[in-house]
Amino acid sequence: MYAPKRRMFLRAVAVALMALAGLNTAHAEGYPDRPLTMLVGYKAGGQTDLVARGVAKVLSGQLGVPVNVVNKPGGGGILAAHELQKAKPDGYTILFHSNSVINTEPFMMKRVNFKPDDFEYAGMITAYQVSLATQKDAPYETLAEFVAWAKENPGFSYGALSPTARMIMEVIAEQEGLDVNIVPLKGGGDMMNALLGKQVALVLSGGIHYKYPDELKSIVALTTFRQPSAPDVETINEAGYPLGMDSRTTLILPKNTPRAALETLSTALQAAETDADFAKVVSAANIPILYMDLDAAADEVRESYKQNQTIFENAGIEPK
Amino acid sequence: MEHLLVGFQNVLTPVTLFWVTVGVTLGYVLGALPGLGKATGVAVAIPMTFYLQPVAAIALLIGIAKGSAAGSAVSAILLNTPGEPSSAPTALDGYPLARQGKAQKALKMGLFASVIGDFLSTLVLIALAAPLARYALLIGPVELCAILLFSLTFIGGLAGRSMLKGLIAAAFGVFFATIGIETETFIPRMTFGLLELDDGISLIPMAIGMLAISEMVIQAGNARKIDSEAEKIKESASPDDRRVTLAEWRRCLPVIGRGTLIGSVVGILPGLGASVGSFLSYGATQRASKAPEKFGTGMIEGVAAAESADNAVVPASFVPLFALGIPGSVVAAILISALVLHGLTPGPMMFVEQPQMVADLYAAMLCASLILLIVGYTGQRIFAQVIHVPIRLIIPAVLFLCCVGAYMDTNTLFSIYLMLGFALLGFFARKLDFSFVTFLIGFVIGPNLELTFRQSLQILDHDVMRLPAHPIAILFAVLTILTVVWINRSNNRHAAQKTALAGPTTKQSQI
Repeated sequence: MYAPKRRMFLRAVAVALMALAGLNTAHAEGYPDRPLTMLVGYKAGGQTDLVARGVAKVLSGQLGVPVNVVNKPGGGGILAAHELQKAKPDGYTILFHSNSVINTEPFMMKRVNFKPDDFEYAGMITAYQVSLATQKDAPYETLAEFVAWAKENPGFSYGALSPTARMIMEVIAEQEGLDVNIVPLKGGGDMMNALLGKQVALVLSGGIHYKYPDELKSIVALTTFRQPSAPDVETINEAGYPLGMDSRTTLILPKNTPRAALETLSTALQAAETDADFAKVVSAANIPILYMDLDAAADEVRESYKQNQTIFENAGIEPK
Repeated sequence: MEHLLVGFQNVLTPVTLFWVTVGVTLGYVLGALPGLGKATGVAVAIPMTFYLQPVAAIALLIGIAKGSAAGSAVSAILLNTPGEPSSAPTALDGYPLARQGKAQKALKMGLFASVIGDFLSTLVLIALAAPLARYALLIGPVELCAILLFSLTFIGGLAGRSMLKGLIAAAFGVFFATIGIETETFIPRMTFGLLELDDGISLIPMAIGMLAISEMVIQAGNARKIDSEAEKIKESASPDDRRVTLAEWRRCLPVIGRGTLIGSVVGILPGLGASVGSFLSYGATQRASKAPEKFGTGMIEGVAAAESADNAVVPASFVPLFALGIPGSVVAAILISALVLHGLTPGPMMFVEQPQMVADLYAAMLCASLILLIVGYTGQRIFAQVIHVPIRLIIPAVLFLCCVGAYMDTNTLFSIYLMLGFALLGFFARKLDFSFVTFLIGFVIGPNLELTFRQSLQILDHDVMRLPAHPIAILFAVLTILTVVWINRSNNRHAAQKTALAGPTTKQSQI
């Protein structure tokens, strides 16, 4: 009974040791023949980190080599992306991150000038269900109803934890003539506190609110597609505001990584779609799996980059 | 209740107990090593939790959290290099005690205070997690802002010999905390274009540089003196100096009780953390003491106050996690990951859908408290030997560990540069007798105060007349004013007493 556990423990120790040693020796034809490094641009413990570790486990099972997760937090993934650009384009260093680091950050930060063609992509696996969320008992179900309510309640408060969250509300408020107080929030925990504690009337949530079906609801999806966790809620584009932006967890690699390596990774990633353990991880966090292979992923990054550029330009946002 | 009994059955299996013990031991040792701490322990443990059963994985993480909070007192007392920022107040009195040959006494008091604080706070968690978390939601930014303001009045006690220098250090702490992207406009403040500074200065490398490295530099300068002193002091022959006497227990029990209460409250409130808990507890104890001027010279109460609160924060910070799914600390955030990895969603639904799982967690936490007592008691006998090691052998080892700890915070060299920069600052702060404790308080509380103040402005719609809707905030604002007035008066009375030294009818000193 204890034998398999001990083996698991040994494996865990082996993984930990290799993570420490950062093995960097053998170099042969059959990719991959040594451990992969998977960079994650957030500290351990967040939603993306969680999905990354789930994916690393699937990839490692498919490829037969360990995949070591290394957290390189800073600037919402920008530091990790810079780190990736410095890595050898041999397929052994991967960045697992939201593609927002490429399709959104450059429009908000002057010091970031990533373009879709600066990287290679080996596929996408999950989507963020970004939406405007509020308390279950709030007297509005849709964005239109919210706007009507907001006109009668000037000075209402809206929680924002990112520049995008601010931008969305500012665009709507300007168009509809709303008097809004934007409450700055720091991190997901702060946001949940503000929402559950009824400090704010509405927040922009990255999807975490779907974990509280009895207490919270979405009034509009900020993605271009209807969200699996709330298929009845309309998207913001359907509501008449062309502000829909998608972000998905993506396997990002350095420019000029051989296509063969990308294909291997893309095929291995597809196994996550049907992997029982991975399904358990993402379903507990209410994250939908929406797999895209390497070509679909590259197209998605380019298209969303163009789309988002238009949205930010129309909103008159200058990178800071 | 019956779930809890079954929970104990589930936890009291060799495998789970093994992992609790591994967690506590790992946490304790890492906490005791300067430069390393719970962040390091958790980083090592994350990959392992993948391969363990849910209860074992979570027991491991909880063990690390509890063990490191207690272990950090060891290096604070023996080397004056707190393993975690939250143990900085422990060093204020623990290190002088150790230099007086009473290291064993200080270590034991630290451990007992940790375990009691931890155990009681765990009981609070078990009994009241769900209702308390609901109540904590009433504490919004407006209330939190007032509470933070109130807690700043306690820092006077931690300022060291000069109040002015203490305040200057606190201002520096606030200043360094302003670096990074500002939360309202998202404009980077004082980052000099360095992307690494966008998220602000990370507490871990900063604290390691300030607390551990700078102390090692100072000790290197005094190496010969310290070694010759160590020859002389060794350990006091009197057995009373090696254990906690009955009289000391009597003095410390109320202190531990207050520390536990403060730690539990701070743990439940969002965004404060263990450092605030131990600072407040130390400050409050000094304020309540009959001999406040003796703090910092080796008062056993100081150790008890800081350590009981430090450890009480840990289980209390799990209250919002278990009841609402909101992480109250770094370890809690990792714990969410571990739970989700095993298909469990922390939050209100967990109590309904997985009551047995919750009970197992509780049982594991209680077991971890007791195991902590055993591991700590055994461990500190070994660690206490460090006092006999010549300082020239200790310094390189500590420097190495500090570099490892700082590097592991972000996995970049930048953290090490940051650590070295703050080591320099810490060196001058120590040489010029500026309090690094008030610096830390400024660094930790300052940004929270700014954020909650800005949030309050928006929530109140910039209208003072909306304040009456927040009675808790008003209460704390009034308390703040009263405390400041009271401090001012008692200071004046002190001054008056000093000038009228030979007065015939001395009034009772102070109440």
